Amino acid sequence: MKKYRWQILAVLLVTFGVMLLASGCGGGGSADTVKVGVILPLTGDQAMFGTMEKNSFEMAYEELKAAGKTKVGDKEIQLLFEDDQGKQDVAKSATEKLVNQNKVAMLSGGYSSACSNVIAGSAQNMNMPFLVVTGSSDDITKSGWQYVFRGTAAPASKYTVSFWNMVDEGVVKLNNVALIVENTDFGKSSADGFRDDCAKRGINIVFDQSYEHGAIDFKPMLANMKSTNPDMIFAVSYVMDAAMIVKQMKELDFSTELFVGGGAGYTMPEFKDNSGDASEYIASTTLWVPNVAVPGAGEYFENYKNKYGKEPDYHGAQAYATMYVIADALSRANDFTSTEIQKALKETDVMTVMGPIKFEDWEGYTNQNKPNTYVVQWQKGELEVIWPEDVKSTDYVYPVPKWNER
Amino acid sequence: MELFGQTVICGILLGGMYSLIAIGMTLIMGVMKIINLAHGALVMVGMYVTYLCFTYLGIDPYIGMFIAMPVLFFIGCLIQKYMINRLVEVESILPENQVLLTVGIMLVLTEGIRVFFKSDYRSVITTYSSNTVFVGDMSINVAMLIGFFFAMLFTSLLHLFLTKTDLGKSIRATSQDRDAAVYMGVNSSKITMITFGIGSALAAAGGSLLLPLFYLFPDIGHLFTAKAFIITILGGMGSTMGAAIGGMILGIAESLGATYISMGYKDVVGLVIFILVLLFLPGGFRSLVKR
Repeated sequence: MKKYRWQILAVLLVTFGVMLLASGCGGGGSADTVKVGVILPLTGDQAMFGTMEKNSFEMAYEELKAAGKTKVGDKEIQLLFEDDQGKQDVAKSATEKLVNQNKVAMLSGGYSSACSNVIAGSAQNMNMPFLVVTGSSDDITKSGWQYVFRGTAAPASKYTVSFWNMVDEGVVKLNNVALIVENTDFGKSSADGFRDDCAKRGINIVFDQSYEHGAIDFKPMLANMKSTNPDMIFAVSYVMDAAMIVKQMKELDFSTELFVGGGAGYTMPEFKDNSGDASEYIASTTLWVPNVAVPGAGEYFENYKNKYGKEPDYHGAQAYATMYVIADALSRANDFTSTEIQKALKETDVMTVMGPIKFEDWEGYTNQNKPNTYVVQWQKGELEVIWPEDVKSTDYVYPVPKWNER
Repeated sequence: MELFGQTVICGILLGGMYSLIAIGMTLIMGVMKIINLAHGALVMVGMYVTYLCFTYLGIDPYIGMFIAMPVLFFIGCLIQKYMINRLVEVESILPENQVLLTVGIMLVLTEGIRVFFKSDYRSVITTYSSNTVFVGDMSINVAMLIGFFFAMLFTSLLHLFLTKTDLGKSIRATSQDRDAAVYMGVNSSKITMITFGIGSALAAAGGSLLLPLFYLFPDIGHLFTAKAFIITILGGMGSTMGAAIGGMILGIAESLGATYISMGYKDVVGLVIFILVLLFLPGGFRSLVKR
């Protein structure tokens, strides 16, 4: 009897396998679609960001479809999502699967810098146009890769442009600063840029350390940092590390005149929710804010919130804007070969919720849009723009009151 | 000096909670002779139960823990009875391959939770979450102190249970020699079921104790599996006291590494110790006591 059971199981397994295969091939549409492969972390610990970006892609797609803009020539744009799990090896195989099996016309996506870098490298090798959504480490567009485009994301070392403007205008005065970054590609790129900018202005870096993300206890590092007495902390962290760091700073009664986050975690609604009142007065650099004076930005924010019940941050806006860039480029391409799509992308000049997008070569970067950056600060639980002066939503608070004076 | 004190105290407190998670794993490993790679996922499920109690019923996580523990005990028993025991009974499946089943269970639990809760980060913010007591200039988190206290309490209770009660003795007998235990009239499939249940309940307790301090998302289990695995090897497989000591050592080593080397090398410190123990003390700390 036992033997039979195994045979039944084997038959079931084979059937299941065939079904899987069939569904895998079934996705491949007919000849009248032009496929765009989007690689994002949909599972794993970056899945929250990946899901937000996927939702935004789909939202933009539906809007474009309603406006009849997903039909390019006689073909319909089709999005194919692949999961990279936030892992480089998976990102690589996802890229190859999309290109070789699904025969996509172009690629997009890329959340973490490490994964974006892998996708960009393989895309360039296969002459496949790749439009980066979020991956920000400098070398992605500094390797001279002609098929790699980055529109909605700034190079990591340029996130701080507005912040340094604030320093140069004499608003923020710095002598000793502390620098903590997570040890990822994005963290390293940001730290390198920050060190250069400090060196140019003669600012001392009194504490400089990287950390592994996902720690429960940041106190050893923070206690060490406290003993160096910095005026300001610049930190690059993912969202939950960011919340842990500011919470534990409060526990240690460690105050500085200013705390600036380098994008990524510090602008997320989850950061505020999880760190409670410790998030108050924390500033961050960012690439986008919903109340920025760009047409469509506010509507995107509201529509997303209504549809998915959560507030998006700049990551979602990046994906949303990228979908518009893709539709625009494909509508201008003469045919859907990679050279023509590459050419169409290169000629892009389009207005999106992230501001104007143009792919230019400058300061050693290739196909890199010139970024707009902002400095934001959490005030009374709201994320307010405090710099540049002409788009600010409220005044900055600096120096920040000490924990025991609030 | 204060920095050193701060570092060591944080290390010990955190280590205590690591121990509790690892004890669950070592117990299962001792009796079943398989590595339970789903252990971290069980911690995660336990944390979600406590989280649910907190958000929807307003139950404090330290009380929610006593709801999460029986729930996980039950889930653990079911997994053992209907999944793992079935595989153990088939002689042709080697123990190495039984481990694969635990990987499958881990994936199912993780993705199952993702279906309900998405990948969002969640945390429990209690009124005392960021309360601290100051000893000199050293700041000690209250939630960490409570967590450590509970972890030690459960460890001692488990030790008493294993050494003093009949059921505990049967568990130890099964772990020492399964066949001999069966000849002595121990119902081994019942014992393994209960052991897996207790292991899962301890995992839930460890997770719930960390909840006020930490955060929660479906993939968080990997972190705990890795830590518990290192501690189990440090302490010697199947040894509760070994796991308790191993947990503290890992906690202190990580803390010291974070303070005096760099936070970026925190995990490296733990793994270096892991390799050194495997090379020079293959039986873990337990083998030191036995000599």
